[in-house]
Amino acid sequence: MIQSRIHRGKIFIFAFLFVFPLFCMSQVPERFPKPDFQTDYTRPDLLTPTPRATALEYIDIFVLVAALSLASYFAHKQRSRRNIFLLMVFSLAYFGFFRKGCVCSIGAIQNVSYVVFNPAYAIPLTVIVFFILPLVFTLFYGRTFCAAVCPLGAIQDAVVLKPTQVPSRLENVLGVLPYIYLGLAVLFAATGAGFIICQYDPFIGFFRFGADFNMVILGMSMLLLGTVVARPYCRYLCPYGVLLNWLSRLSKKHVRITPDECNNCRLCEESCPFGAIKKPDEDVPLETKQVDVKRLAVLFIVLPVVLLGSGWVGSRLYAPLSRGHATVSLAEEILLENSGKRTEMTNATKAFRASGKPTEELFAEANSIQHNFKVGGWIVGGFIGLVLCLKLIGLFMRKRQIEYDVDKGKCLSCGRCFAYCPYEQVRLGIITPEEADKMGSREVKPKQFRA
Amino acid sequence: MSPENRDNTTKSSSRMGYNITKRVAWIAGIFAGILSILMIANYIQIKSVDPLNSKAISQLMTRLQENPEDTALKEQIRALDLLARKAYFTHQWQIRTGSYLLFAFILVLLLALKYMSSLQSRLPDLSKSAEPDDTWKSKLLSRRYILYGGLGLFVLAFILGILFQTELKNVGIVKAEGSRAATDFPGVDEIRNNWPGFRGPEGIGIAFHTDVSTEWDGSSGKNIIWKIPIPTSGFNSPIVWGNRIFLSGADRNTQVVYCVDTESGEILWQTELNNIPGSPDQRPQVTEDTGYAAPTMTTDGQRVFALFATGDIACLDFEGKRIWTKNLGMPDNHYGHASSLITYRDLLLVPFDQNTGGRLLALRTRSGDLAYDQPRDVEISWASPILVNTGSRTELILNSNPFVMSHDPQTGQELWRVRCMQGEIAPSPAYSDGMVYVVNDYARLVGIQLGEIPEVAWEYIDDLSEVASPLATKDIVIMAASYGTVTCFDSKTGERFWIQEFDDGFYSSPILVGDNVYLMDMSGVMYVFKADKDFRLISRNELGENAMTIPAFMHGRIFIRGEKHLFCIGD
Repeated sequence: MIQSRIHRGKIFIFAFLFVFPLFCMSQVPERFPKPDFQTDYTRPDLLTPTPRATALEYIDIFVLVAALSLASYFAHKQRSRRNIFLLMVFSLAYFGFFRKGCVCSIGAIQNVSYVVFNPAYAIPLTVIVFFILPLVFTLFYGRTFCAAVCPLGAIQDAVVLKPTQVPSRLENVLGVLPYIYLGLAVLFAATGAGFIICQYDPFIGFFRFGADFNMVILGMSMLLLGTVVARPYCRYLCPYGVLLNWLSRLSKKHVRITPDECNNCRLCEESCPFGAIKKPDEDVPLETKQVDVKRLAVLFIVLPVVLLGSGWVGSRLYAPLSRGHATVSLAEEILLENSGKRTEMTNATKAFRASGKPTEELFAEANSIQHNFKVGGWIVGGFIGLVLCLKLIGLFMRKRQIEYDVDKGKCLSCGRCFAYCPYEQVRLGIITPEEADKMGSREVKPKQFRA
Repeated sequence: MSPENRDNTTKSSSRMGYNITKRVAWIAGIFAGILSILMIANYIQIKSVDPLNSKAISQLMTRLQENPEDTALKEQIRALDLLARKAYFTHQWQIRTGSYLLFAFILVLLLALKYMSSLQSRLPDLSKSAEPDDTWKSKLLSRRYILYGGLGLFVLAFILGILFQTELKNVGIVKAEGSRAATDFPGVDEIRNNWPGFRGPEGIGIAFHTDVSTEWDGSSGKNIIWKIPIPTSGFNSPIVWGNRIFLSGADRNTQVVYCVDTESGEILWQTELNNIPGSPDQRPQVTEDTGYAAPTMTTDGQRVFALFATGDIACLDFEGKRIWTKNLGMPDNHYGHASSLITYRDLLLVPFDQNTGGRLLALRTRSGDLAYDQPRDVEISWASPILVNTGSRTELILNSNPFVMSHDPQTGQELWRVRCMQGEIAPSPAYSDGMVYVVNDYARLVGIQLGEIPEVAWEYIDDLSEVASPLATKDIVIMAASYGTVTCFDSKTGERFWIQEFDDGFYSSPILVGDNVYLMDMSGVMYVFKADKDFRLISRNELGENAMTIPAFMHGRIFIRGEKHLFCIGD
């Protein structure tokens, strides 16, 4: 009871301390004309980090390699939650507050997408490395990047106070969101509309001590939610997490809960705040299986229709989506002004009109961009339709689970579950194998699950 | 020490650690709370001293506009502005510093809470009986959720796609009467078959529809087919394309374009043009006999164009919908801007000779984009352009002080100039058979022979026109003066054939309709006489109200804008 009161108190304190003052912080970067002060005036620092010298970029790469190596070592060899946590704190300090969240692997998706469709873009080496290296490590060792290197994950991990388990059905539905976000981010980057992952990074404002008001609110909401739903951004939004999830499923080595064999003692059952522990399950009746096979067959039959339909719907969204592109937005503003629907000129339209550039040229450019959005909308829509279908197909598939194990796609390799396993205690010399065996036999036997 | 004592000691030190951490957490929390309150107060304060929206400064600025030479007021504004900016940046600094401190306190609080949490062992509750994970049921529910969620997403995206349409796809596609493509512009025949601008096709005062009435009477209604009031006044003349008449009106508060049906006289639509980006807040000073809507509109058969004394220029389609609008900058014109518009191919040509310098602007008819802005080293002018084929090329000719100038309408490039004018120029040029005729009061009437080097062929210095433009045919030139004389000359030699005096003066210009000249005086009396070396009056027709505009002649009808009404005259 005392404990629950403490937790309630913590959440209240966080709500009070974060939301209101950071609401004020959000006002810091307001645009303001350069003042004409006396000579002792010093211009305030920029919020976005200035470009780094090449040598320092290599240091960033070195730190990334070192952090990924250490994270993998701590997770696989040492199985040390404490070291993973300490490394996570370091990453938060270095990649987050010191490097101000840039360059980051999540945002690098956009640079890579952009360069694919705009070969003239000179993508920095650092960005490529930050994009590829975590993927490579994940392919070998699982999502150790998420566990201890990603600053966005770290800041959320730091505020996990009383995590609750999200029902798996909800988890499955929310798990579609990162795919949508990924699709949109690639679409926006490829069409040159902008890097929405960076624009809507909810935590960048904290790293830089200043951000747009809405983003601070979003970040605060994420952190507040993160006190009870661990790492909500990582699980339900992170587009890079989609790629890491795919590769982690294929990972050569992946952390396991137990260093030995699982005796189904259930001690680790609730240890994962991310819902990444697969529990032993029971078989289903034959009739149910037969019904599911029929449904699966229907799903395969309608799959092409779903893909086409979702692609078409995606393409119809070109008008609202393309407004995210500055050229299209400007063209629409000019059009509004010309038609008299808008009375006041914006700074952008004033600048455009002063430039002497023909509006027909602008409209032609905007039309071309909208065409790209239409084509991209087909692809993204089809992709989302495919993801939904694959999710459904995955939910029809069945693989018997007879012991507690991690879900390799979802598991962030954070090591929280290690200490709950009796055989981990044995490995650390805290208890004897016999004591561990008793812990297993004391509660429930595996066969009871399969009754 | 016994194991029991050791246990007790451990527990005791653990409890002590917990209590200390708890206190640290409380202290950090209280400090963070205080800091938060201070920052909130700071935020509220910072909003109230936003210098960009300072009411006090705005008021002082308004006062300064009224009295721009007030140095003390300027100093007061500067001081207040400096104060507000200093306050703003001090608040910014406070917020920044507060953020750092807050961050530190929250960090301490977090660490303390984490440590407290770690001291409290939270072993899994295994007291509950083990329930087998109902994965299959959960998957079934998940499938439903995803199915419904996917359908919801599909529907939402579909609705968004319908709701958020773009106008951009329709840009450049203008609905036009007939089947002419949007990129087209009217040919010479089509222009001559209509009345597209000031003084008709090409702006030279020659009507190509000659089957019009020579007699009417406004007071008795004889040959008046219809007569409608025009709500907003303007000295611009009606233009006609097909079965639509266009004219504009403006006063200090509003600017409007009217479209009238030629058959019924019904106002088909009227479009207010008051919200034009860049339009000046204050209307310019204009004289009563110029007004806010002196420039005559023009059309290319798909779009109509209107210009006002504010510098606002608008392009509408034939349904009255805005295609584009813009402001050309407030004309620096002590009477009010009066030069009319004319189109050439896909260009809208705007003579813009002001006190600040002369310019010839060309805007793209479809978009309003500036095609060129040709400077002209001339004085201010109120004359309108003519656009004539002089044999091998089309020239835009403008009467101005001191030069009569010709421009390539496609590029704006000057083709030739002749120094022969002076004063405040209002009459537009006339053209016929390789000669250009220009006139101005207190200057001269000049016949310029075009050629490799255009030169003055003859000039005449009496009974000069102040506003009305001359009319030229192959044989004669007719000039009407504001004090009531009409003079006819030999177009080649300048020899005066005849001079006639009338009751009232002329602002309206003579128009050649077949063999007849139609000329209306300021009281609305139209004189119809033969375009001949001898003066032969055919008729004298009263409109019933004053008129200073140019009549339009189309399909057996004459459209005249009087002071208050638009008249349709026909047999």
